[in-house]
Amino acid sequence: MLFTVNHSSMTSKSFDSLLKILPAGSPILFFEDGVYNALAGSSSEVHVKEALKTNPIFALDADIEARGLKGIIEGIKKIGYDGFVELVEKHDMVPWI
Amino acid sequence: MDKVIVLLRKAPYGSVYSAEAFRTIMGIAVFEMDICVMFVDDGVFALLKGQNPEKLDMKPLGDGFPMLEEFGVKRFVVHEESLTERGLTPDDLVVDAEIVKSSNLAEIFDDYKRVLPF
Repeated sequence: MLFTVNHSSMTSKSFDSLLKILPAGSPILFFEDGVYNALAGSSSEVHVKEALKTNPIFALDADIEARGLKGIIEGIKKIGYDGFVELVEKHDMVPWI
Repeated sequence: MDKVIVLLRKAPYGSVYSAEAFRTIMGIAVFEMDICVMFVDDGVFALLKGQNPEKLDMKPLGDGFPMLEEFGVKRFVVHEESLTERGLTPDDLVVDAEIVKSSNLAEIFDDYKRVLPF
């Protein structure tokens, strides 16, 4: 299952709650304001790094660029809309809104 | 002179709040008010350098804030803790803002009395 996160964990608890139930191996995709979770140096970095040990994490390039985010946490893979489509084709999508 | 704080607490692009805050600032600036633009929580992301929402078919918001000075809007206040917990520094911002601790924000609220929240 593909879990998508579109809110910043600074103002929403949704990413934190996802981490509690997340099955190992399931990919996570950050898009819209969810890409703020990919920002290196933020207080949520430690949680993201922990999740990366068991789950692949992707972040939508267009949303990163729009928001001017420079330092992305190592291990997170930037993808385009085509990559988003590929993930959705491969997995059932669960929007963790 | 009337004093007002325009408070931004949401990230840009994910919602209309910060863009609407910007429009409001432009709108009230013509009345020669003493405006303090304040950035708290995810609102600080509105000031991040290098925003390019072309692929989202939206207009960059960050570039607009330095222009506000021409409209007499000179005071930008950024909540220090909001900045640091996001791993950001004043160098990452498009304007030369006052970086203010929580306790001093309270004083600014007290001084201005009126707040337009976004």
